[in-house]
Amino acid sequence: MAPHDLRRWIKRVSISDQQKRRDIALQRQQQNRRDSQHQARLLATSILSLQPE
Amino acid sequence: VAGIELPHKQWPELIGTLLSNIHQLPPHVKQATLETLGYLCEEVSSDMVDQDQVNKILTAVVQGMNSSEGSNDVRLAATRALYNALGFAQANFTNDMERDYIMRVVCEATLSPDVKIRQAAYECLVSISSTYYEKLAPYIQDIFNITAKAVKGDDEPVALQAIEFWSSICDEEIDILEEYGGEFSGDSDVPCFYFIKQALPVLVPMLLETLLKQEEDQDQDEGCWNLAMAGGTCLGLVARTVGDDIVPLVMPFIEENITKPDWRQREAATYAFGSILEGPSPNNLTSIVNVALNFMLTALMKDPNNHVKDTTAWTLGRIFEFLHGSTVETPIITHSNCQQIITVLLQSMKDAPNVAEKACGALYFLAQGYDDANSSSPPLTPFFQDIVQALLNVTHREDAGESRLRTSAYESLNEVVRCSTDETAPMVMQLVPVIMLELHQTLEAQKLSSDEREKQAELQGLLCGCLQVIIQKLSASEPTKYVFMQYADQMMGLFLRVFACRNATVHEEAMLAIGALAYATGPDFAKYMSEFYKYLEMGLQNFEEYQVCAITVGVVGDICRALEEKVLPYCDGIMTQLLKDLSSNQLHRSVKPPIFSCFGDIALAIGENFEKYLIYAMPMLQGAADLSAHVSGADDEIMEYTNLLRNGILEAYSGIFQGFKNSPKTQLLMPYAPHILQFLDSLYVEKDMDDVVSKTAIGVLGDLADTLGGNAGPLIQQSVSSRDFLNECLASDDQLIKESAEWAKLTISRAISA
Repeated sequence: MAPHDLRRWIKRVSISDQQKRRDIALQRQQQNRRDSQHQARLLATSILSLQPE
Repeated sequence: VAGIELPHKQWPELIGTLLSNIHQLPPHVKQATLETLGYLCEEVSSDMVDQDQVNKILTAVVQGMNSSEGSNDVRLAATRALYNALGFAQANFTNDMERDYIMRVVCEATLSPDVKIRQAAYECLVSISSTYYEKLAPYIQDIFNITAKAVKGDDEPVALQAIEFWSSICDEEIDILEEYGGEFSGDSDVPCFYFIKQALPVLVPMLLETLLKQEEDQDQDEGCWNLAMAGGTCLGLVARTVGDDIVPLVMPFIEENITKPDWRQREAATYAFGSILEGPSPNNLTSIVNVALNFMLTALMKDPNNHVKDTTAWTLGRIFEFLHGSTVETPIITHSNCQQIITVLLQSMKDAPNVAEKACGALYFLAQGYDDANSSSPPLTPFFQDIVQALLNVTHREDAGESRLRTSAYESLNEVVRCSTDETAPMVMQLVPVIMLELHQTLEAQKLSSDEREKQAELQGLLCGCLQVIIQKLSASEPTKYVFMQYADQMMGLFLRVFACRNATVHEEAMLAIGALAYATGPDFAKYMSEFYKYLEMGLQNFEEYQVCAITVGVVGDICRALEEKVLPYCDGIMTQLLKDLSSNQLHRSVKPPIFSCFGDIALAIGENFEKYLIYAMPMLQGAADLSAHVSGADDEIMEYTNLLRNGILEAYSGIFQGFKNSPKTQLLMPYAPHILQFLDSLYVEKDMDDVVSKTAIGVLGDLADTLGGNAGPLIQQSVSSRDFLNECLASDDQLIKESAEWAKLTISRAISA
């Protein structure tokens, strides 16, 4: 029979700064990727709008 | 053996043979048979055993549990077997008579004279509470009566399980209420029966009683678990389940006990208070907390008992966590009490390790509450230097290895740095050489025992983590980034030395810090690449510690954006490794979507030089796209993963199209266009993509049209995406989707008219 897991004690603090660091890094990377793609599109749009129809 | 053979239908007679043993007279044969049936149920998936056999197993098990069974060993084996067999009993629990019978036998077993049987029976009840919550209504009153008796007077292992039953019911109701927002509709799977709300007037006093049963020194003992700990944990869950209703039931207990001479009473009262801070609305608690705050600060300084101080510091942390921050209407921390709070917390950091650790935790939440403070002089600013110094002093304490104290101090330091403002930036800057020196010292230490090495690695991880936070903070604004850059070479040198330490957490932390540094450094990061590359490759090869692999994939993206075309010399190696990762069955699936996104980062950085990878990357993307396009009937978890995968694939396509833009080699992408458009169409038709995927998908359509231009015009015109999907996105409320759609509209009309 599997031993029954006793739950975590409420007083053991729930901080996981390591997870927070990972999440913040991931957010930054996603934002940077969006910015680069946005930048590329912005550049293309400005070139497109300069070209005659 | 059965675990291997039964799924292949290779031992069909096994269960029948075992069941025939049940009628054997010698109890030890019965016992062994029930134990075997228990193991079998534990190992084998429930769909491998047909209902007829399940019925027979349950009949045998329940008979073995019956009070008429003479042998306690047989009853115990049967009760433990039932615990494992419960997952097989879905059909039996829908039948009223069978369920009644099983429940009666389990409840009877909770009254057995044998403590082990009672404990095993309660474990069955705990498992039933989560597996068959919706079937419990007819039994809940009886269960309350027997659990209350057990909590009051039974042996500790039994009482703990009885409390666990109610914690488990809380878990179920919290989940149900979170999912349906409190409103049960006909479509919902499981209704909330509000068992906790109904039991509240008797449940809460029962739990409050347990809080007085603390053990001496329980705060110093990591593995300790007792009635008081379980009772407080359950009380916290009850508060989260019922919210405001718990407050009037707990307040009299707190008021009565908090000033008593017996430390157990003061601690129990404080613990009760701390436990109910999450759940009730902050407005309901603010006035109480305002009164309590002063009392707590005094207790933290003056109470003679370590245990009381520990719980007091923890409660302060909970106050700051749940009742302090920009979302809370009435601030409990003001300019007038801030100084006192900080003075007490910093003083408390010199207390015993368990108390100091809680004080660091409280400071963490205090700082966190100011993370989006816009005020010109945030309340922590005048104390910044003192706080940082106090935290550094904690990290240097000889006993900082106890009670997670050092970790807690670094975590608080990180949060204090994250929430700092321009005003304190010079002080954060001063911290850079201090933390670097600490890291340097750990690298100099020699001839360490394995125990010391482990501690050293932990410290290196903490220091790299702290540097990552500092890099990110200081590089967020140009003036501080400029000053900070003077440390970049030295810092990178330290990170590279850290990789010599073989420890996954340390590698991950160093990798994260390097990613932040690459972002801050930009193209100049190229000078570190020749030395750093081997560690990058090592990270990408780390299948076992997939977090390291995932972080490294993200850092490849950072490096691509920082170096742009200068990353080219490293791309053969990186792409080879990424392709290997994608083909591997060993690698955790969560790493695969970011790898696809990373293809996009590489392509965007190296442009048409991505040509040589197309024949490898495109089939991978196509295969994954086909797999992720249709997932009808998938559960939420699979759907979430599928959308992450779709987003990764689409980001890859975007990067590749944008990278090839204006290159003479654009036409190399033409053969892939039909499949990509088909993928976009099928996503649109399936109607199950989330907003993030919609935004990326419509962006890909724009990128495809932009890069391929008139050559793709006829193809684009044929696709549903270019009409219906585009129109839907143009009308979206989501600004990001709308922006991407505007872009797609522009490039599509240009491609079609070309």
